[in-house]
Amino acid sequence: MTMSDEANEPAVVQLSGVRKEYGDAIALDGVSLEVRAGEAVAVMGPSGSGKSTLLNVIAGLDRPTGGSVVVHGDDLGRLDEKGLALFRRRRIGMIFQFFNLIDDLPALDNVALAAQLAGVAAPHARRRALELLDELGIAGRRNTYPAQLSGGERQRVAVARALMNRPALLLADEPTGALDSRVGEQVMDLLLDLNQIGQTLLMVTHDERLATRCASRVIEIVDGRVARERTLERTS
Amino acid sequence: MSAVWLAARAAVRRRRLQTAVVGIVVGVSTTMIVVALGLLAVSSGPFDQAYARQLGAHLAVTYDRAKATDAQLTAAAGWSGVEAVAGPFPQATVELGALGRPRAQPLTVVGRADPEGPVDRLNVWDGRWATAPGEIVVNQNPVGQGFFFRIGDQVTTPEGGTLTVVGRAFSMSRSADAWVSPEQMATLGPTATQMLYRFAAAGTTAQVEAGQAEVTKGVPAQARLGSTSYLVLRNEAAREAATYVTFLVAFGLLGLAVAILIVANVVSGAVVAGFRHIGVLKALGFTPTQVLVVYLTMVSVPAVAGCALGTVLGNVLARPLLSQAFRNLGSAGIGVPAWVSVAALLGVPLMVALSALVPALRARRLPAAEAISAGSAQHAGRGLRAQRWLSGTRLPRAVSLGLGLPFARPARSALTMAAVVLGVTSVTLAIGLGDSLNRYQRAEARSGAVQVEVFPAGGPRGGSPGDEALLRSVPGTRYVLGSADVPVRQVGNNEQTMLRLYKGDTGPLGQQVLDGRWPSGPGEVAVAKRFLVQRGLSIGDTFTIEAGQGPVPVRIVGMVLYNETETIVADWSTAALVAPDAVLDRFEVQLAEGTDPQAYMAEVTKAAPNLVAVPPEGAEQFVWIVLVTVTLLTLMLAVVAALGVFNTAVLSTRERRRDLGMLKSIGMTPGQVVVMVVTSMAALGALGGLLGIPIGVAAHRVVLPAMADAAQVGFPASVLDVYKLPILALLALAGVAIAAVGALMPARSAARVTIAEVLHNE
Repeated sequence: MTMSDEANEPAVVQLSGVRKEYGDAIALDGVSLEVRAGEAVAVMGPSGSGKSTLLNVIAGLDRPTGGSVVVHGDDLGRLDEKGLALFRRRRIGMIFQFFNLIDDLPALDNVALAAQLAGVAAPHARRRALELLDELGIAGRRNTYPAQLSGGERQRVAVARALMNRPALLLADEPTGALDSRVGEQVMDLLLDLNQIGQTLLMVTHDERLATRCASRVIEIVDGRVARERTLERTS
Repeated sequence: MSAVWLAARAAVRRRRLQTAVVGIVVGVSTTMIVVALGLLAVSSGPFDQAYARQLGAHLAVTYDRAKATDAQLTAAAGWSGVEAVAGPFPQATVELGALGRPRAQPLTVVGRADPEGPVDRLNVWDGRWATAPGEIVVNQNPVGQGFFFRIGDQVTTPEGGTLTVVGRAFSMSRSADAWVSPEQMATLGPTATQMLYRFAAAGTTAQVEAGQAEVTKGVPAQARLGSTSYLVLRNEAAREAATYVTFLVAFGLLGLAVAILIVANVVSGAVVAGFRHIGVLKALGFTPTQVLVVYLTMVSVPAVAGCALGTVLGNVLARPLLSQAFRNLGSAGIGVPAWVSVAALLGVPLMVALSALVPALRARRLPAAEAISAGSAQHAGRGLRAQRWLSGTRLPRAVSLGLGLPFARPARSALTMAAVVLGVTSVTLAIGLGDSLNRYQRAEARSGAVQVEVFPAGGPRGGSPGDEALLRSVPGTRYVLGSADVPVRQVGNNEQTMLRLYKGDTGPLGQQVLDGRWPSGPGEVAVAKRFLVQRGLSIGDTFTIEAGQGPVPVRIVGMVLYNETETIVADWSTAALVAPDAVLDRFEVQLAEGTDPQAYMAEVTKAAPNLVAVPPEGAEQFVWIVLVTVTLLTLMLAVVAALGVFNTAVLSTRERRRDLGMLKSIGMTPGQVVVMVVTSMAALGALGGLLGIPIGVAAHRVVLPAMADAAQVGFPASVLDVYKLPILALLALAGVAIAAVGALMPARSAARVTIAEVLHNE
């Protein structure tokens, strides 16, 4: 998908004047932005600039103090806790720096969990999970528990879990932050591949290489405000 | 301030919730222990103290005046084992009438010159001693209810003489119902002689019996009419308290066991949750022993506070129970002995510390590096097979995840389940006891059988011979059982005894026969178990009663379900021997099916204006006290067990905050989080319920007969057979309910966990 094509796509994420305060501290100060379907957007900025808060607000993990957040047509401000949970289940897939897998479940069940929570029967959920693990090249490790997986494998399991419910938006919080450079490269490739087949991607990262390789646009946040936006030509 | 204390204080502050749980659990358990031990300790204390103050008689013997002289009795009392002796006192059973009473009462009257003496020093608490002819002093408990005589009352003798009540005295030995001067006694025709003994050794029945054998050695055979051992009076005084003690001890032990389990669980949880903290302490230079002390102090602070509070509360709660239990003894203001409080204050924290020792020793052993890394390192899961299997079931995922959680921490789950088991055991026991007491009460009162009671409007002796036939003719009457009470005296025993003569439909309406058979001929009687126990009699034995017609030997043919200790039951044919002029003055009626009792009672009043129809009496106060106490203790134990579950759920959800955040991030709703956490505990509750029910049923089989023995009552098998299928099904849910209640608050708290905060604070 070219950049001109992306510009014609409907907006998956629309933020308008979003503020987030923690007591006296202002984490987000009137942020407005849009992410269109099929885009891969990287949010960058120094530590404490509000990048993760922005991601949390878009994922419905945190509520803004002011402004509006609309994701895939859902105005998150209008949703109660259950509504937000259902929103995350149906619209969002999340990848974390530290994977956040459940230690007591093998890889396959970690992935299937997201669908089972939505009421999909265990056999169907496992079949779909296996397909995803296969696509990500770790089907052979499906019965392995997180503690016995390498960092890269854990992140692949996390990606598979994020994709389980076919989300409209894939959110990634420092997805390569806990990985060595070789494994980080593999995860970058994976994200790039996903975007290239149409998956909308919004990631928070410190890693300029990840941004330039995977993102078509970079939004820089400083002191809770959008300081700069730039479009990129992908390096791959 | 020492570093250890500083660290322990900080640990207490950081774990406010767990500190509160330990404090409450220990407090509630201590309360139960203090009440149980207090009752146990004083169950015979007040009697012994009061008896010693009065130099009460260890043995009171009544001799036939015609067969033994005073000189013979005095000489026989010279045995070296006799510490003190009083008597010989002339004695007679006299039918004394009083103004406003329809029937004269047969009272044991003794002639005594003064209330003092080496044995049975009487407490003349109102008026003065009878020193002149025409005066009488009556035996009454100063704190007893329903005074029958007041100073100045006049009583009439069978010969037509008049005696004036000049004093009221109380004899712990129950040596007489009334006393007169020896001069007055001569006019009443004494037939017996009373001797009161105190022995050097009288602690056991064997010692008292040996004493009796010695003091009657030189006395002609057949002269002894009867005797009363103080041990019988002592047992009777302790009877009600002993009934409480049996189940309070059972509940106290259950409470202590639950407290120990929960404390062990709390400390284990604190050790597991505080791995990093232990590592930091050791890295700072704390020795392993100092770490141990920190953890023990952390638990001991709330335990000591809870124990102190529980001791105070136990003392407060025990006081009304003790007063109730000993109300008939004239010993007001009985409290829990100080040693009970001291034992609780020292013993309970010690037990808590011991239960905390195992996990604290684990903290002591843990190497610093391992402890620090254990706080952050990713650990391999546990209970994986179970998790795996559950994830493949058709159960909703929140439920299957919840069911798998207990496998992750098997030791903690086992401790929690044990607390639930004990909670369910106590609920099972309490419900069983409640039902049994209710069944006993209903069986004793013949609820359902007796629907209406009918009395002559003119009071006792106001009935007429045609009343029974008249009552049977009232429409709606099915069965009628008439009775008349005749006051009698068992020769050799100073207790008032009532002979209840029955006539009519004894089959459907008579008391349940527990052993032997219902009396059917003249001279046959049936009695309550307590009567047999207290008077040392058995079925088949014969004893003699007096009721103005001279002595009448009667034979015990059955034991009946009866709560009135001093009542003996006989067939109407015995009336000819004891009270030929007796008239039925009470009727118990069972109605024909479909008859409205209210309408029937109105019909009786219309058909027989000389009769009054009323509904049967309600339950006894004692049963209600026991029921209320059992209910309270059960609630306390259920709350304590629920607190144990609460603690486990809190620990579990705190440890799994990251998992909870992750689950919420992939779409687990708050409701699903609640379901998952509650299910994890409810599973333990369900299992605990299944284990707790048989233990509770077994405890019921032990505690109820023990209570009945202590109370000296017999009961039918139906009283024990209370656990039917619907009750058991409900009880099975008790464990789930306790667990669900305990888990609900932590579950709701877990549902509110802030995902962003949890997932990004690595």
